[in-house]
Amino acid sequence: MLFNSFEFLLYFPIVTALFFFLPHRFRWQLLLAASCFFYMFFKPEYILILAFTIVVDYYAGILIEEAKTAKQKKYYLLISLIANIGVLAVFKYYNFINENITGVASLFGWKNHIPALTMLLPIGLSFHTFQAMSYTLEISRGNYKAERHFGIYALYVMFYPQLVAGPIERPQNVLHQFHEKKSFDYSRVVDGLRMMLWGMFKKIVIADNLTTYTDGVYNNLHVQTSIAIVVAIFFFAFQIYCDFSAYTDIARGAARVMGYELVKNFNYPFRSRNVTDFWRRWHMSLTTWFNDYLFTPVVISNRGSIKFGIVFALMVTFSLSGLWHGAAWTYVGFGVMHGFATSYEFLTKKWRNRLSKKVNPFIYSRVSQVLTFLFVCYTWIFFRANTMADAFYVLKRIPGFFTEIANWSVTRTKPIFDGSLPKLGLIYCGVFILLLETLHYLDNKYDVFNKLRNQNIVLRWSVYYSLMIIMIFFASSTAHRFIYFQF
Amino acid sequence: MNKEQILAKVTDIFKDVLDNDDIVLTDTTVATDVEDWDSLNHIQIIVAIEKSFKIKFTSTEIHHFKNVGELIGSIESKLS
Repeated sequence: MLFNSFEFLLYFPIVTALFFFLPHRFRWQLLLAASCFFYMFFKPEYILILAFTIVVDYYAGILIEEAKTAKQKKYYLLISLIANIGVLAVFKYYNFINENITGVASLFGWKNHIPALTMLLPIGLSFHTFQAMSYTLEISRGNYKAERHFGIYALYVMFYPQLVAGPIERPQNVLHQFHEKKSFDYSRVVDGLRMMLWGMFKKIVIADNLTTYTDGVYNNLHVQTSIAIVVAIFFFAFQIYCDFSAYTDIARGAARVMGYELVKNFNYPFRSRNVTDFWRRWHMSLTTWFNDYLFTPVVISNRGSIKFGIVFALMVTFSLSGLWHGAAWTYVGFGVMHGFATSYEFLTKKWRNRLSKKVNPFIYSRVSQVLTFLFVCYTWIFFRANTMADAFYVLKRIPGFFTEIANWSVTRTKPIFDGSLPKLGLIYCGVFILLLETLHYLDNKYDVFNKLRNQNIVLRWSVYYSLMIIMIFFASSTAHRFIYFQF
Repeated sequence: MNKEQILAKVTDIFKDVLDNDDIVLTDTTVATDVEDWDSLNHIQIIVAIEKSFKIKFTSTEIHHFKNVGELIGSIESKLS
């Protein structure tokens, strides 16, 4: 089920009302049933994949905890990891690996006889398998006690708000919350609803309207002007931010309404002053996952030569985090570029620190922000492009932007975007981006979102109504799926 | 080497790795108290400590230090 769908508009109030109506001991059953229904809305039979990993990880958790020796512990952890990564490998990466085998085989004039699989990718697979792995990993590290209640463990993996696109939770943060009795707290409920409203606004008004342009350009690159391509590159940055952070806001808001707190996933990523900083602010739950379970162990085991160890770990982590997003070389390319950037930043850190002390701090931080933003936009070309060839085609067209601007008198006589894309919508998109950034600025400086809570009823409700009215008038005519659903 | 000497030596290592001469450490100092003490710098600090004291931590130990006091305690027990 999509958050931005009519079904969810019915589903959410019904589930929430039932939740508060039922006594505490029945709530986990309700949430589990509701989560199954939510998931099965996409493709019912895929629930079996979830059931498989839940059963394996539930028992693996208990066995890891009860293991007498470190070797046994490792063995049960390995079973859990193989089950989860195995599911990912079959359902997400099988065809990608197979295509590459075909490619390599054809170089030698051989034929690859392994058949391709024709099936849809299970929704949110990378999210819930990662969340499940963090459970057994934390138990094996002795940071968490295995959950004995099977239903509650299943709910940890399946909790509908964050089931298909995160935030990727840790057992320490959420599992105990499912045991706690939640009461109806008016101000908390309103707080959650406010988060959901802001999320819906970002998704329906900003992200989906921008998608019209980015899809229009990226799916039809060869007929576009360079100006249109460059606009689409920048639009995509705001689209993906609004799309993904909207999902997180709605997820965290829906959970908060019922009294559950999910982790923060975004912290103004476009204010980042370097790429390392960007990853501390963008999709934070994934960054910390990779940091704790891949990056740090790789560095620790290669710490004999620390500089090499860290650069090696950065490259491995970012390449795999690129691949985490999707089974295509474009995503790997995206990851590798971030690996290079963070390695560069690591190796030049002391030098950059000294430089920053010599330059006016205001100018230094603004220039850093702009450069970081440009770099991230550049890498998102690979993220968004349909193929690697398309990504390189986009790069090739960027210099044309300056030529077209220089020859404005000629450029203006032709349509900038190909005819199918309306001009008025383009202006709206610009206005919405400006609105988003102004609100971010105000929130960052004056904490306006928080302060709204304490304003009088007239002001609060006028803000809510204004958002809703804008949503009604400016909602995108097509509701798009959330980008991160496919991951 | 007593606790104070270890702390002084560890503080110097922190200053060097984090490139910041203003760092003051106590037993209760945690990562959030020190600017730039993130996971990346943490490992570099650990490696510098291992080299300087000629000791070796296990990866479980590296994951579980909760504050400077625990780190100092672990160094002390390895030296004795």
